[in-house]
Amino acid sequence: MRVFLVGEEETVHEFPDTRNSLLLKLRDKGDCESWQQFVAVYRPVVYRMARRRGMQDADAQDLAQAVLVAVAESVDRWEADPRRARFRTWLSRVAKNAIIDAFRRRRPDAAIGGTTEVARLQQQPEPDDAELDREHRREVFRWAARQVRWEFAEETWLAFWLTAVEGRHVKEVAGQLGKSAGAVYIARSRVMRRLQEKIVELEE
Amino acid sequence: MEAKPTACDDTRIARFLRRELTDEEERLFELHLDTCETCSEKLDRSTAGPADWHEAAELLRDEPIDLEPLSVVLSDADSGEVARHVVDDSVRRVLELLHPTDDPQMLGRIAGYEVVGVIGSGGNGVVLKAHDSALNRYVAIKMLAPHLASSGAARGRFAREAVAAAAVMHENVIAIHGVQEHGGLPFLVMPYVRGTSLQKRIDQKGTLALLEILRIGMQAAAGLAAAHAQGLVHRDIKPANILLAGGVERVTITDFGLARAVDDASMTRSGIIAGTPQFMSPEQARGEAVDHRSDLFSLGSVLYAMCTGHPPFRADSSYGVLQRICQSTPRPIRQSNPDLPTWFCRLVDRLHQKDPQKRFQSAAEVADLLARCVAHVQQPLAQPLPNELCEKHGGVPVPHRRAWAVALVGGLAVAATSAVLWLGQGSQSDQSPRPDTSTPPAAANDDVRWNDDVDRLLRELNESVEELDKDTQQLFEEP
Ligand SMILES: [Zn+2]
Repeated sequence: MRVFLVGEEETVHEFPDTRNSLLLKLRDKGDCESWQQFVAVYRPVVYRMARRRGMQDADAQDLAQAVLVAVAESVDRWEADPRRARFRTWLSRVAKNAIIDAFRRRRPDAAIGGTTEVARLQQQPEPDDAELDREHRREVFRWAARQVRWEFAEETWLAFWLTAVEGRHVKEVAGQLGKSAGAVYIARSRVMRRLQEKIVELEE
Repeated sequence: MEAKPTACDDTRIARFLRRELTDEEERLFELHLDTCETCSEKLDRSTAGPADWHEAAELLRDEPIDLEPLSVVLSDADSGEVARHVVDDSVRRVLELLHPTDDPQMLGRIAGYEVVGVIGSGGNGVVLKAHDSALNRYVAIKMLAPHLASSGAARGRFAREAVAAAAVMHENVIAIHGVQEHGGLPFLVMPYVRGTSLQKRIDQKGTLALLEILRIGMQAAAGLAAAHAQGLVHRDIKPANILLAGGVERVTITDFGLARAVDDASMTRSGIIAGTPQFMSPEQARGEAVDHRSDLFSLGSVLYAMCTGHPPFRADSSYGVLQRICQSTPRPIRQSNPDLPTWFCRLVDRLHQKDPQKRFQSAAEVADLLARCVAHVQQPLAQPLPNELCEKHGGVPVPHRRAWAVALVGGLAVAATSAVLWLGQGSQSDQSPRPDTSTPPAAANDDVRWNDDVDRLLRELNESVEELDKDTQQLFEEP
């Protein structure tokens, strides 16, 4: 039975082997939060990249888990030092290497089988920095959106979504929602502003 | 109150973005934006650059599963009415997540299970019927609704509660084979139970007969007792979560703690209640901590629904329902269904006490009581009505007066019993069958009807006795 628990409360518990060292390292509350955000963003990044390369759901999950475990294990090597990178920055650098490693290692492994999955996997280029950055940016954005989404009333989110994401006209949406155009402008500005604040919070 | 149009003002835009406007200023700003395109465009540009807006649209539009609004808006141009409909496309989303399968008979694959069909969907999840090829059995797979799975905390809670629920082994509680995850969505694997939910039974056939109500209530209470013994509170006891297999012979409680665990999470985030709150307890409705006695209140509401065909607390809005749950007493059962005995209404009233202290204190106690009620209804003469359900007299008990009253009532009861026997036999052929479409199996038919008739007569006599009882009390109370 595979039980994956991801999220605000559970992140630390999902790596039983590295739990102690992680907990020890993450005594600082800020670090603990960084780690949780890291997991929330990187798990889908790896999962999506793996799926794009034709991996099955379970394999993609495993790969994501493997990357996270590898990063968690190397937390031991991180030293809090004001002259060096912040924990968050350090994490993303380690993650980048771990991801590229994981995909690279997978190719010869899988080549033994000769199934269609392997064939597809081999056709896919190795992940490069550009793809990683793009996927990372996307997950950061989506993470931020998930965070702020519940800060707003459904109507506000709806006004933002229909105009900014679906590209519908403000007047039309205002009519549908039974609100003034001014209210729609205000709603979508508020959501967008908050989204950006949240992203800055994650990347600062 | 007509506001004067305000002038264009760039500092106002900046102050709005810094959240410095007062409510009144913001109202005026909104009015201004309504007519001024220049300021609207400036607001957009000051909020974020064009590239940022573009990026937001692009990144969020792709795979929007957990971010899409939960509702669509339909407005009627003629009446100007605006209606909002919660999108229930959970099924579509879940099906999109399935892996393709080689078997054209199947909808898709999910972690080793071949999905045969969709059993149902609710606010919290989608239930699929699937075949477990490894063990060659059918299973029901319940997936957390995609829009709820966006919260890591909700997912975690779902999985934790599922593990706890899996530990409850009882014939009246659905077994859980396992908890797994697929495409980021947790799901439960449960036995596939052929049967219908109590909700469907009520919708299709209306109120149930007393004996059926008692049997279902007894089994539900027994299942709850087993879960409570494990420290688990269901939190979402309602007819839709009670499965009936083989008529009322086998009752299974489903959705242990899961649905509400998720609802609670989404409620605290958005202030929106998912699903129907009609069977909630007052402490749940107030958002307070709940213990096992909350389930007992909900069980009372389920019994009520079986008696009357509808939930006890009804209103136009969820909020109205919650208010009623906290404040009002439901309409007496016998007003909707005079066929039911007073003692049974008393049992429901006890469960419906707003103060948990005043309810029965355990599900085991309720299960035991209902079992004795079943026995009483089946054999009214051999099995006395449980003491707890006999009418209690108010005031300070005065020993010799009580003794008198008991003797008097006792005497009447004996007389009543003879009358029942006589009436029961004499009137049997004259009695038209109860307007109940759920005909019991042929063999039991006569028994049940006889019991129903006897029951009704006993009830009527019981009422006369109660009235007499009141009269005698008044007599005693006179100086
Ligand atoms: Zn203007």
